[in-house]
Amino acid sequence: MNATAMAQPGSQTVQTEKTGGTRIELARCTKTFPDGTRALLPFDLTINGGETLVLLGPSGCGKTTILRLIAGLEFPDAGGKITFGEDDVTRQSIEKRRVGMVFQSYALFPNMTVAENVAYGLKVQKVERRERDERVRAMLEMMHIDMLADRRIDQLSGGQRQRVALARAIALRPRVLLLDEPLTALDAKLRVKLRTEINSLLRKLGITAIYVTHDQEEAMALGDRIVVMQKGAIAQIGTPREIYRAPLSPFVADFVGASNRLDGRIEQNSLVLGDVKISLDQIGHAMTGDPIKNGDSNSNSRSGQGLADIYFRADGLAICAPDQGQIRGRVEAISYLGEKSRLTVSGIGESVITLDVDPDFQIAIGDDIHCRFNPERLTVFGRYPDARNAAQAM
Amino acid sequence: MRRGWPFYAQLGLTVLLCLFIVVPIVMSALAGVTVNVFKGLSSGLTLRWIFEVWDLYAQSILLSLWLAVACLVVTTLAGVPLAYVLVRRPNRLTRMFEEILTLPVAIPGLALALALLITYGGFGSFRSSWVFILIGHVLFTMPFMVRSVAAVMSAMDMKTLEEGAASLGAGFWHRFLHVIMPNAMPGILAGALMVVTLSIGEFNLTWMLHTPLTKTLPVGLADSYASMRLEIGSAYTLIFFVLIMPLLIAMQMLANPGKKRRAALQPAEDE
Ligand SMILES: Nc1ncnc2c1ncn2[C@@H]1O[C@H](COP(=O)(O)OP(=O)(O)O)[C@@H](O)[C@H]1O
Ligand SMILES: [Mg+2]
Repeated sequence: MNATAMAQPGSQTVQTEKTGGTRIELARCTKTFPDGTRALLPFDLTINGGETLVLLGPSGCGKTTILRLIAGLEFPDAGGKITFGEDDVTRQSIEKRRVGMVFQSYALFPNMTVAENVAYGLKVQKVERRERDERVRAMLEMMHIDMLADRRIDQLSGGQRQRVALARAIALRPRVLLLDEPLTALDAKLRVKLRTEINSLLRKLGITAIYVTHDQEEAMALGDRIVVMQKGAIAQIGTPREIYRAPLSPFVADFVGASNRLDGRIEQNSLVLGDVKISLDQIGHAMTGDPIKNGDSNSNSRSGQGLADIYFRADGLAICAPDQGQIRGRVEAISYLGEKSRLTVSGIGESVITLDVDPDFQIAIGDDIHCRFNPERLTVFGRYPDARNAAQAM
Repeated sequence: MRRGWPFYAQLGLTVLLCLFIVVPIVMSALAGVTVNVFKGLSSGLTLRWIFEVWDLYAQSILLSLWLAVACLVVTTLAGVPLAYVLVRRPNRLTRMFEEILTLPVAIPGLALALALLITYGGFGSFRSSWVFILIGHVLFTMPFMVRSVAAVMSAMDMKTLEEGAASLGAGFWHRFLHVIMPNAMPGILAGALMVVTLSIGEFNLTWMLHTPLTKTLPVGLADSYASMRLEIGSAYTLIFFVLIMPLLIAMQMLANPGKKRRAALQPAEDE
């Protein structure tokens, strides 16, 4: 639509780096609040120029705190260092950092119209009138809200407010765009639609962006890389595919949706589950070494003996003919989801297991079924006290 | 539609109550423009008493207006930032401060005035200046301004609004003047009306603090009741009403913001 508006050279004070995105580095950062809460344990994090990084984790794990450190709304404990490109911003206030922020509650100014909200930052930066109007118009057009320019904020829907908040945040061409759960307040359908829009907007702008969410799907859809967080620490950093297919810990596996868990054993290079025995070479992702030291799933420590946690999604187990079955279960509930039906099955593990079948498959609650594992889709962790506790403490 | 007797009983009671309040007001106002109260309306209407009141008490009336404006300026300049700090940094100290601030409302005006007299009565020229009364009025009205502004401020998520403004480069003063103040305006307006109304009508405290040269409108009113013809006292009351009624009505309208929104569009539906 209006990519030219972004590319045109603006006033000197508000210009993004030539590469289109500022590289951001946090080094040895920790955060302890005045009341003693250790919100963030020591961590290093680098966000590449133009990259969209998603911070993903349950409520209270410290996502917002990281975002606020980058914004300059909080400062790291002594020893931490934050740089934007070559610029050390560790002690710089938010007013000077040139960051764009989108808040969950939007934080739009109720005393101003849509256009005035978007123009606010330009006014503060004393951009002269004509250029200001031009840029506000371009912003509103890009966000498809030009017809709302003179509306008051309380006359807008949630989705429209979200667009205004985005337009306001990027109008100044910030060095980094920070979004804190921007879609949480919206209903599911709109969320997906805006998610797609934000995604293409971020690609188009080529801006460095950090996006906080607790929604795994949103993280997958938006992130170049995802940082999964757990209790103030980084549990894993990786591309959406890595996080999804190769979680480094039971916590990550569970959090990104591998909600089925079974207890097993590892014996002589095989996974053993009751009568079932599957060679570890066939397992999609097996972590039988120390999950921190041996992040690589191909490490040779995977032949170790002992107990194992098996995680998988609804595609890890499939119904089959009785003579090919590895385990048996009983259907407890069926939910029809359109393109598939999701079964809740008991009798396989301690808790129920979910698996998907063709929606036309004839089955009823109470039926006994025979199932086979799909080894490619299993994630296996050798059991370590720490990893176990972490998964249960969630 | 037929209405039963309870409706008419209620209506009657309401009308009676209203009359109970309104009739004396009307009577008193009429007395102020009647040639001779003892002969009644038949003696004719006149503006003479009004002019006479003006001749006698213009000083007091003007002083009251001046005090109200000065009091408004002081309570706004001090009260708005004060409310801001109370809402933005709620801790033990600020809460204690809020309590202390409210004290003058709870203490009888006379006691407060006595305290002021004991403390500052010795400073002759200060004691006899209007500033002395202003201090009393500010002490008495400040909590109303602070409370009213603080209520609006606590309802508007100031912290996030300020953070949003700061991320756009706005420093403290820009944020305060262009984001906080405009959004707190309903509270400031309501507080301002309250302050002006209270200041104009304040009697207890002012009566103790005043000197013959610093008589305010209500003090003059008492004076006229005590020593003038009934018509003059009534005319004075009439002037007081004319001054105070618009303020009361404006206050009532501010308290009902629902009506203002009538014209506003409904929030849009999400597509
Ligand atoms: N200002 C603060 N003072 C004290 N503790 C805080 C403050 N802000 C956040 N915390 C605590 O820090 C932890 C991380 O919070 P937060 O970053 O908001 O989590 P998230 O955004 O992932 O839900 C939480 O335990 C929270 O209670
Ligand atoms: Mg948060």
